[in-house]
Parts: sequence; C-alpha cells; structure tokens
Amino acid sequence: MKHIYSNIIIILFLLTGLVSCTDELDKDPIGLLTKDQISSDPTITTIESSVNSSYLPLKNTLNGIIPGWRWDLGTVFRNDIVLQDIASNDMNKKWNPDGDQPWMDKIADFSFTPENQAFNGIWVYDYEGISRANIAINFLTDTELIQKVGMEDADKNQLLAEVYFLRAYYYFDLVNNFGDVPLVLNSPASFEEAFDVSVRASADEVRAQINSDLSEAKAIAPNAKYSVVSEPWRVSKGAIIALQAKVALYSEDWTTVLSLISELDGLGFYSLDANYFDNFDANLEFAEDEVIFAYDHRSNETPNNTNGLRYVIGWGFFSPTDDFVSAFEANDPRLLYTIDIANKRSSKIVGSTTDLIDYGNKVYIRYADVLLWKAEALNETGDYTDAVDIINQIRRRARTSPTADGSVIPAETLADRPSSTNSTEIKGWLMSERRVELGFESQRFNDLKRWGTAKAVLTALGRNFQDHNYLYPIPQKDIDKSGGSITQNPGY
Amino acid sequence: MKTIFFNFKRGILSFVFIFLASAVFGQTLVSGKVTTESGESLPGVSITVKGTTMGTITNIDGNYKLEVPDDARVLVFSFIGMKVEEVEIAGQTSINVVLHEDTTGLDEVVVVGYTSRKKSTLTGAVSVVDVSDMEKTRVPNVAQALQGQIAGVLVTSSTGAPGDPIQIRIRGEGTIGNNNPLYVVDGVPSRDITFLNQADIKTMTVLKDAAAAAIYGSRASGGVVLITTKSGVIGKTSFDVSYYRGLHKVANLPNMLNADQYINTLEKAWNNSDRTGENPYTADRGRSDFSDTNWLDELFEQGKSQNLQLTASGGTDKMQFLTSLGYYGQDGIVVYNNDKYQKLNYRTNINVNITDRFKIGTNLQLSYSTQDAIASKGESLIRFALLRAPVLAVRKDVNDPTYSERDPFTDMPFFTPTGYDQGLQRTMYEMVGNPIAKAFFSDDKRKVYKTFGNVYGEYAFLGNKELKFRTNLGVDLTMFHNKAFNENFGDDDGGGSAIDKGLGRQNRPNNLSEERGEARTITFNNTLNYAKTFNEKHDFSAMVGTEYIENYESSIGASRARFPFTTDKYRYLDYGGSNLDIWNSGTASEWALFSLFGSTSYVYDNKYMVTANLRADASSRFSEKNRWGYFPSVSAGWKISDEDFLNDIDWLSNLKLRASWGKLGNQEIDDYAYLTLVSQVDGVVKTNRFGNPDLKWESSTQSNIGVDVGLFNSKLAVSAEYFVKNTTDILLPISLPSVVGDVAPTIVNAGEVSNKGFEFSLDYRNSNKAFKYNINANIATLTNNVEKLHPNVPNIVTDVTKTEVGHPLNSYYGYRMIGIYQNQSEIDSYLTDGIAKPGDIKFKDVNGDGKITPDKDREFLGSPIPDLTYGFSFSATYKGFDFSMLFQGVAGVDRYNQGKQIVDYDTRPFNYTTSILGAWDGEGSSNTIPRVTFQDNGSSKVSSIFVEDASYLRLKNIEIGYNIKSIKGIQNLRFYVSSQNLFTITDYSGLDPESTDLMDLGTYPQSTSVLFGVNVKF
Repeated sequence: MKHIYSNIIIILFLLTGLVSCTDELDKDPIGLLTKDQISSDPTITTIESSVNSSYLPLKNTLNGIIPGWRWDLGTVFRNDIVLQDIASNDMNKKWNPDGDQPWMDKIADFSFTPENQAFNGIWVYDYEGISRANIAINFLTDTELIQKVGMEDADKNQLLAEVYFLRAYYYFDLVNNFGDVPLVLNSPASFEEAFDVSVRASADEVRAQINSDLSEAKAIAPNAKYSVVSEPWRVSKGAIIALQAKVALYSEDWTTVLSLISELDGLGFYSLDANYFDNFDANLEFAEDEVIFAYDHRSNETPNNTNGLRYVIGWGFFSPTDDFVSAFEANDPRLLYTIDIANKRSSKIVGSTTDLIDYGNKVYIRYADVLLWKAEALNETGDYTDAVDIINQIRRRARTSPTADGSVIPAETLADRPSSTNSTEIKGWLMSERRVELGFESQRFNDLKRWGTAKAVLTALGRNFQDHNYLYPIPQKDIDKSGGSITQNPGY
Repeated sequence: MKTIFFNFKRGILSFVFIFLASAVFGQTLVSGKVTTESGESLPGVSITVKGTTMGTITNIDGNYKLEVPDDARVLVFSFIGMKVEEVEIAGQTSINVVLHEDTTGLDEVVVVGYTSRKKSTLTGAVSVVDVSDMEKTRVPNVAQALQGQIAGVLVTSSTGAPGDPIQIRIRGEGTIGNNNPLYVVDGVPSRDITFLNQADIKTMTVLKDAAAAAIYGSRASGGVVLITTKSGVIGKTSFDVSYYRGLHKVANLPNMLNADQYINTLEKAWNNSDRTGENPYTADRGRSDFSDTNWLDELFEQGKSQNLQLTASGGTDKMQFLTSLGYYGQDGIVVYNNDKYQKLNYRTNINVNITDRFKIGTNLQLSYSTQDAIASKGESLIRFALLRAPVLAVRKDVNDPTYSERDPFTDMPFFTPTGYDQGLQRTMYEMVGNPIAKAFFSDDKRKVYKTFGNVYGEYAFLGNKELKFRTNLGVDLTMFHNKAFNENFGDDDGGGSAIDKGLGRQNRPNNLSEERGEARTITFNNTLNYAKTFNEKHDFSAMVGTEYIENYESSIGASRARFPFTTDKYRYLDYGGSNLDIWNSGTASEWALFSLFGSTSYVYDNKYMVTANLRADASSRFSEKNRWGYFPSVSAGWKISDEDFLNDIDWLSNLKLRASWGKLGNQEIDDYAYLTLVSQVDGVVKTNRFGNPDLKWESSTQSNIGVDVGLFNSKLAVSAEYFVKNTTDILLPISLPSVVGDVAPTIVNAGEVSNKGFEFSLDYRNSNKAFKYNINANIATLTNNVEKLHPNVPNIVTDVTKTEVGHPLNSYYGYRMIGIYQNQSEIDSYLTDGIAKPGDIKFKDVNGDGKITPDKDREFLGSPIPDLTYGFSFSATYKGFDFSMLFQGVAGVDRYNQGKQIVDYDTRPFNYTTSILGAWDGEGSSNTIPRVTFQDNGSSKVSSIFVEDASYLRLKNIEIGYNIKSIKGIQNLRFYVSSQNLFTITDYSGLDPESTDLMDLGTYPQSTSVLFGVNVKF
C-alpha cells in the first residue's frame, strides 16, 4: 500500500513540474527587434535613423554596405564607376594592366557574362537603398504613428521628401542599367511575399513610379537650398527638381526638361562656380553654389563614412584611356583636375589636388550638368543660339578656372563655339563637352546609350559592343535565387 | 506540500526498517569457486543475488563467500567478456560455476534511450563501439576515434589542425542544415564531445535508426551516440597509467615549381596575354637577387605529441569510484610552434548505494583546453605557402637596409615605395605575404574551460525493485576566452591611413582582440522505469519520463589597436591606443526545450520482441502554434535461432530478424528563426531577416530491416541492414533575391530528402589457439536524393552547388570541360560569339546554340555525398604480442577543389604545381590543361576541372604491442609502437581528401605519425 502511495506522490511531482516549465519556452530574441516591436513602438530617433540609413548605399566607402571584402560579389564599393566610366572606355582598370580583378577587364571589353559581379554589386546596393527607403516611407506615411511619436509635420515632410527622392534615384539607376526591374514599394510582410515581388515590372512602369515619387517629394520639400542648414548633405528641393529634369531628359521629353530647369533656376540657389574644381574640393563642401546633390564623406566616424575610392586609387586603379585624354582640347584645365597623370590619381574623385584624403564628397548632380541638359533640350527643340550659348558658358568657366598646377593657359584655349544652326554639329559639340566636363563622374556610359552612339563609339575603339549590350544583364545570382522568376534580358 | 513531504519521509523510513529487518533474519552462507572453461580461476567475477544489489566478487583464487537471504532464489555470475550464468540456489551452500566466453556479447547490457536492454533483445539498429579498438587510434578527439568503426557512420575531420572540429554523419546527409548527431553522455545531451577523455569511456553506442533514437525526439534526426563513462568496479582498487609520445610529419604535399620553372611559366603566361612591350619576365630571368625557395618545405616541420593518463578506480558494494586525470599536448607541424593544442581533463565518478534500493551518484568532468588557432583553411598559411613566388627568399639579408631583428622575414623585397603603390614589380611577384613570417607572428589562443557532469538519484520501489525512479540533473558549463594579438610586420607599401604611415603592410596597425563568453545548459530529467518478468516467459518493461533543457549563452568582446609596446606583458587592452579604433561588443541568446516521453517493450520467451516509443517535445525555437512535435516509433524482432525448427543446426548460433519504423525530429536552427528581425545598430535601420511564422520541426521518418546472424559457435557474427530515411519539412535557410534588400537567409521548411542504403558488418573472432585473431569489417552504401523542394524555391543555388529535385543534396553544378581548343578554326566552328583563344578551356555546349551561357550550359558534375563508406580492422594476439590495424575508406565521392583553382588556374602571378608544366603550349600539346595566361582562359568558371574524385583508402592506424603479465604486483605492463595515417591511396590532388567542406579551400593537411607508448595496470 505504502508503495502505491509514494508512487502517486512521484507522479504528482512530475505533473507539477510539467505545468511550470512550458512558460519558459517563450524566449524573446536578445538584442534584435522583431518587426512587431519596431512597428508598434519606434521613436523619433528610429524614424530619423531609417531616413539617414537610406542614404548609405550612395557612399563610396569600402565594405560600406556589405562587409567582408566580397570582391566576388562586387560589393566592396559602389561600382557605378566601373559600369559607367570603365565601360564607356574613358577609364582603364589600372595604370598597369594585370590579372587583378579580371571582372573589371571584362566590363571594359564587353566580354562579360551575367555572372559578372559588377552587375550584382550595383543591384545589391540599389535594392538595399530601396528597401531602407521603403521602411522609412512606411513610417512617415503612417499618420497615427507620426502623431504618436510627436513628430512635427514640417519635419515629417522634409524627411519624407528625402526618402521619396532616394527611392526614385535608386530606381532610376536600376532602370538605366537593366531596363525592366522588379518594382518593390513596400517591405514584404513575409518571406513568401519577397518571392511574389521578385518579378520584373516594365521599365515604363518603373519610370512612372519614379516620376510619381519625385512629384510627391517636390510638393512637400522645404523651399530652401539646404533642407536642414546644419545637415547640408540632405536632399533638397533643388535636387528633386534636377532629378525630375534628368528623368525627363533620358526619356527625351524636351519640353518638360526645359520647364523643370526653369523652375530650378527660379529657386535662385545654383550657379556655376568660378573655379571648376570648387565642385570637388573637399574643403569647400557645401560652401559653393554649383553642387546640387552629393554624398558627404567624413573621416573618423563610426560606422565608416570615408571615401573608399581613395584607397582603390592608391592601389593603382582608375587610369584614363588614351582616347579619353585625347578628347580634351589642348591646355584644357579640366584634364589635370580630372586625372593627374604624374601622380596617378584623380583629384576630382579624391577631392584634393595634393593629398589622398578620405573625406572628399561624391558629386551626383551639379549645375553644370543641369545646364548641359538644358543645352541638349534647346538643341532638340530648335533653339540653337541658346544651346550654343550654354556650351560656351561651360567652356568659358573652364578656361577661366585657375589651373591645378598654377600654369597659365594660352589665350586661345577652349575658344567659344561659333554660332550654328546645324543641330547635328551642335549635338557633336555638346557630346564632347559633356565628356570633358563630366569625365569620371559616372555619366558617360548612360550618355552614350541614350544617344544611341554606344555601338559606333565603342566598336571603333575595338570593343565587342553588341546591340543587346544597351542593357546590362540582370545579375545571375538573383535570377538563381528567385528560382527563375526574374527573367534575363535578351541576348544573354 | 507539507503533508506530502511528511508522508514521503515516513515512506522512506518504513523502507529502511524493512531492509534492516531482512538484513538480520533468515540468511545462509553460500560459497564456491568460479573458473573458466580451461580450468583457470577467475578473480573479480561479480556474484549478485538476482533482483537485489546484494553481492560480492571472487578473490584472486576465484573463490567467493556470500550471505544470502533465505528468500533468495537465483545467483547471477557475471564477468566482462563472459556469458552471464544464472544458477538456482535451491538450498545449496556450495555453488561452483564455469563461465564461458561470450564471443557475441549478446548478453551484454546496452544502454539505449534512458533505459538499458540486453543486446539479444534489441530490435533497433544499434551498434556498440568496441572501446578498446577505439583507443588504438590515439587521437585526442573521441569523435575522430570512431572513424571506420561502425557501418554507416562517416567521420571526417575538417582540417588536420590540432583542435579543429570533427564531423560525424550517421546514415548520410538527411537535411540541408544541421546533420550532426546528438551525443548523450551519462544522460546529459550535448552537441559536442571534444572535451571528453577517451580513456574515461566505458561504452559507446550508436543509435542509427528511428526505433532506437526516437526516444530522443526532436534532436535525434542525425542519429544519437550514447556514451557512458567508466565507474569503479566492486572489489580491488586498480590503477592504470598510460603514456605515449608521438612524432608527426606532414603527408601528401603537392610539388610546386622551383624558381626557374616559375619564371619560365610566367614568361609564357605574359606572352599569352595580349600585353604590349617587352616581356618583363624574360628581362628578369637569371636575376641575381632571386632565390629558390620551397615554401612548403620551409613551412612544415616535425610535430610532437604526448599523452599521459592516470586512472584509479575501485569500490565496495556500498560505493564505487573512479578518478581519472589526463593530459594531451600536441605541437603542430607548422614551424615556430604557434599551432599547439593542449587538453587537460579531470574526472571523478562516484556511485553510492545508500541502501539496496536507494542509489545516488555523480559523474563530473572538468576540462581545460587551449588551442593556438592558426588559420587552418581559406586565407591560410598553407595557401600562402602554395602561392608565394619561389624567387623570393624566406629571410632578408642582414645587410638589407630594411632588415630588423624583430622582423627578419621578407615581404616585398623588390618593391620600393616611391609615392603610391602601383609598382608593376609588386604585382609581378609580391602579391602574397610571407607564410613563415605569418607563422612566426601568429598569436591567437582559444581557451575553453568546461565543467560537464551530472548528479543523479535512483530509487527502486516494489518488492523486487521492479519500479525504478531516477532523477538526473546535468550541467554543461563552458567558459571560453579567445585572445588574438596581430603584430605588425612586413614592408611598407606606402599605404595605410595617415597615422600609420611607415608601418609594414601586414596587420597595419597592430591590434588586440579579446572575447570572453559563457554558455550554460542545464538538463533535468526524471524517469520511471518498470521491468518485470511474468511466468518466466513474459518480459515486460515500460518507462515514462520528462525532460527540461535550458540554455543561455552570452559573450563580450573588445579590441584596440596601435600598441606602442608589443611584448607579451603589454598584450592587454589597457595598453592599446585609446583614441581611435576602440571596439567592443556584447550579446546573448537562449533557448529551452521541454519533453514528455515513454516507451514500452515486451519480449516473449526471449524469442519474440516488440518495442514502442513516443516522445513529445516543445521547443522555444518555434512560434506557439508549431511548438509541439510528436515522435513515435515501433520495432519488432524475432530470434529465429531459438525456434525449435532451428535447434539442430549447430553452425547457426544466432539468427535474429528485426524491423523498425519511427519518426525523429530536428530543431537545430537559429534561436529566433521564425521572427522577422529589424536591426538598429549604429543608427542604421534595416531589415535583418524576414521571418516565417509557419516554421516547424523538421521530421525524419525512418524504416529499417535488419538481420543478425551468428555462425560457427558465435565465431562469426554478421549483421546486415537496409534502411530508408525520408526527411521532410527540411529546415533550410533560403537566400531571398536581393530585390528585398540585403537580408540574411530566411529559415523555411523547404522540402524532402531521402537517404537509402545497405549496411553490412562482419566480425570474426578466432580465440581457440594460442594465436588469437579478430577481423572486423563494415561497409555501407548510401543513395541520397532530393525528393521535393519548397514551391517558391525550385532549386537552391550556391557558388558551386545546386540542390534540385532528382539529384543528391548540394550536388556540384557548373560547366563541363570537354577539352582544350587546339586552334582558332576549332573555336570558330564551335562557338558563334566566343571570345575564346586557342589554348582556352572548351566547355560543353549543352543546348548546342554556339554560346556558353549560365542559363543553358551548366549541368550536374558530381556529388559530395559518398556512395560507399567502409572500414576494415584486423587484430591478433600471440603469446605476449598483440597487433592491430585499421583501414578506413570512402568511395564514390567528389569534391570541389577550389585550392586547385587559385593555385594553378588563377590570373595572378602565383606559384603553380608541377602539373602546369603540362599545360597547352601549341596545337596538340595538351587536351587537359589550358594555356597559362594572365587573362581568363575559362578558369574563372565553376567547371568540372575542379570537381575531383575524392575517394580514398587510408591506413588509419597500425600498432604492435608487447604485454608482460608476470611482474609481481602488476596486472599488466604493455609497450607499444604505432603509426597513424601511414599511407593514403587517393586520386585527389588537394591536400587532404578527407576535408569536409563543399569547397576545399586548401586546408591544413593531415600528418603521418609514429607513437611509442607504455601502459601499466596494477
């Protein structure tokens, strides 16, 4: 009897143990926030941080977005310089050709395949930027949330305008490089939705979204040269209008280009700097009037915000092709600023003519570029005089800029273009002016593509450019990861 | 609660009374002698009164005396290696017994799943490891000692570096994620047993099929390895002292080019690379400042190891103890001895019989290990030694202006910093750092302090003690400390940030990083076991239990740079620079598991047996709706040899047929895998990972049929099985397209994989004559196939593999090489848009469209899962000598040799193996090795060139020993010499065919060793 009694006692022990233990199985993740926690309880800092985070994929910092020196993924630095400047044959991979990073060589001679990491790199950077912008947009468009955290309407509008611009910028970059791309406008709620959105939308749809984002942004952006005076690196109204103009330009909508540029001029914030190099000089950042949008690199910050290209240049990368150097007219001061052959560096990219500093900004949009868009649109709509005038304005500024080495240039340098009514001739002047004015600023390949001259120009230089190369291939990695739901561009 | 305690106490007291009462009244003295078949007396034989813990042992002459209670009926005589004899007392006072050798071990009691069973009544696929065979492998890691011992168990070491992990696979790769088995040491589960001392292991059982392992439920799908540690034996106290010393030498190094061959090859490569101007390698030929260094020779030296083991054990029938102290130390085979490994273990196992019903005990191990981690794979020393140009010397000339006593090694001897680093010379010869310098300056210590143990109490209820309650509390407490100091060395290349100007380029600036952490796992299980035989024919047993496991881990780390003084006494964080590059980190994680389980078994007449198990587990790793998993299993067996119709067949001593079916689970994923995570680190707000609230257990259903045959009076034991293992809802991290941002992979229940195979093992023992020998062989086949994948994920592609329905898991996938283009017209007729050149690799154009594209022209190239694994061992004794050897091998397996890609097929001017001397050099010269060049000749593609057959056969160990028993006071003295990894037969060109990585990145090779040892038992 007693045995049975004690048996029951044991079983009761076990049962009581049972009940208490199951509560212990609810473990909250340490150190990480679940999506529920962050959506239900963010603070103003979280929201501001989410906006600031959306800028980061624009920086040149090494290992800035993806850590670990992933040369194999093409994510060590933002490689628009490879896809624009090397591809257009303005720039060579290295001063001394060698077997290092052969993927860049393949971009240069158009012998690449979709597995080339250059495409993966830019795709990852741009979509990471879009994903962060989507998080920020979701916060800022949630009126209840904004009220709850107590953010002022003016602040919300300023921040929202910034992320609309950024998202539009990233999509613009993607559509120019790849054509039809997946259009993701929301953070997927679950991983299954991630696969659902991995379907290419047409380039037109994407452009429509870009335009819609930019108009929304323009409507709410503060009317000032710098949205926040103490943080001049933020997207401003001028940047939004300028990007709208660029989108219109790439779609060859000349009248819109002109009306937007006159809207920009109406703001009165921007004009050509007297010194060509002021745009790039790191010591003059945000203290001149030509740069409209740039990424602000800074030294000694955690996390790292330095201009990583300064190191890449130090390893011997990014030299000019002979063709590029010969594109400059004799004694053009811009050559030395663009590429300092003796010291094997690009002062323009680094931000200094004397040192390899690491805080030079990356200029994305500046007024000279905007003026040349205007000139192009004027030429296409028959206003030849004004078009030539602008080209001459650019040339005048160039020849009156102080030279990098203090030399004095002869008087006939960069003479004004004569008046003309031959739109082809003017276009030719425009194309070569763009090349030397904006050299090494990652504009050239897009220009060649949209003018339709890529094939002629590059095959003449001995490159195997073919018709299907007007669009880069979708990175094979993402096609594989999506299980084939993202399709490839024709010809690859 | 109070009343329960009070009654409990009363219950205990009444038991004590009954025991004492029976101790005083009604006893008889029984005595006798125990001998072997040949008449030798047997000391140390255990005699117990059946159903009690009363007993004694025979003395040195084989005699015994025992006070037996009047109601006792049967005496049980048992001794290791002998068949158990049960004798009815029936009033006798003198009982002499002859014990026979148990060659089959069928009466052995085997621990399985919280209980123990006789081997003869096992119905699942359970393999018992011969512990003494295992000891002969002389390796510090218990897991590695299992190699080649059990059919279907594949053990591989990931690199040859001392202290690096070992991988075990039981019955193939069941899943895409974690395939590791669960280890249970004295009832405490653990995922890692590197801390265990082999000398402490008493039994090791591998539960291969579901029937045996299902009782471990959600952690058992990779199989279960049950380990019990030694305990003291009742009787004499015994001591065991062992020592061995070993010498190690690296094995299987490739042949690299010497300086002349190197310059010739690079000269050719330059000519083949569309370069303009003079060939700089022609110009450099015969340079007076060139050396001729064989880097692999310089890097490796003879390694040493030693092992000392002291064990003392003994006991009375009241208390048994075992203490053991072990030390293992190894200097690795890389120069400058910065790759050492040392392990110190202390164990104490104590069992106390407080009464004949109540027993308590503890098994406790303390261990300390320290490993000098030297990067043993990937960007490793080994890789540097393979790639560095032979024209560079190891050390600088004393007269070189950059020579310093602190750092006499070359780094970039030809480079001169004139401004910035664009020297053509550097990229000609000096891209790779100096591995000898790296070995010299390496200082990276990993220390682990571990306390592992359990304390248990067991109480037997009912008259015949048929009902046992056992409570077990296990603790696994680990503290680790990693400290790595990276000293600055090398030549100045003009780079580095402004403050670091002038420093050498390696580890610029110097830095120290340290990390400390702890992990604690507490296991608490309670079981109730009932075993009774009714009417002598019906053996019935049942068990129910609960288990709760909780784990918490945390770590902190910090690092600093720019130490002005770098000697040992300054290698602490306080002495680093305090302005810049100060980093610190800290994090934690936790999980918990709660389970209920039960099993029952019924054996009729020792002939017909059936067992059933069920376990229910709840895990914190899954969301509430999927928290619980249920894992049942059932198995049956038939001992045909005991049937009447087989009685006449003398040569058949055992024939047992068994079959089983069961379900196991796997929960080995990240702790919070089902949640969507957002991070806010450093002000960056981004999605970390998308979650999956539907995440649930992975389950593996396994069916097994087997037959055990014993022939020729149990001299030959043969066992054969066939199993089918289907794993469904595989837990798999899938990479989402980058379209949703850069996120970590999401864990998804993604598909189904099947593993099928045969296992066959044979054991032949001939111990009749003076020359006794034993042959053991095992072989297992495996067919692995992916049956189904997640609808969103039709295939999973990684750099070199693709997992797709209809193929083995992680099959290699890439282009297939079919030859070398011999001339331009061959290229023109084969490709329509190719930019290939003669001498380039010719890939198969699978769809015949004249283009080589990733979409259409890649195919499956091989599988990293072996088709066949086998082991063979032979051991013999003759008079005082003993001999043993163990072969182990794998066949039908491929590996992606990425090391080959970077050595012989890279576009940079690294060194090559001598096989490059056969490279294509003109039409018709080679159809297998493409031209050497600095451009891409097709070698950047993942292709069949790099997928090699990694089958191998290895002589794992061979040992000869001599035993002396005649010394007074000493039971046995043994001297032995043995050799490990004496030779390997393989076609694989990488450093070690055993490397477990999918991509062999050039790992620390294994070594051949010779050991001398001595062992004394007294």
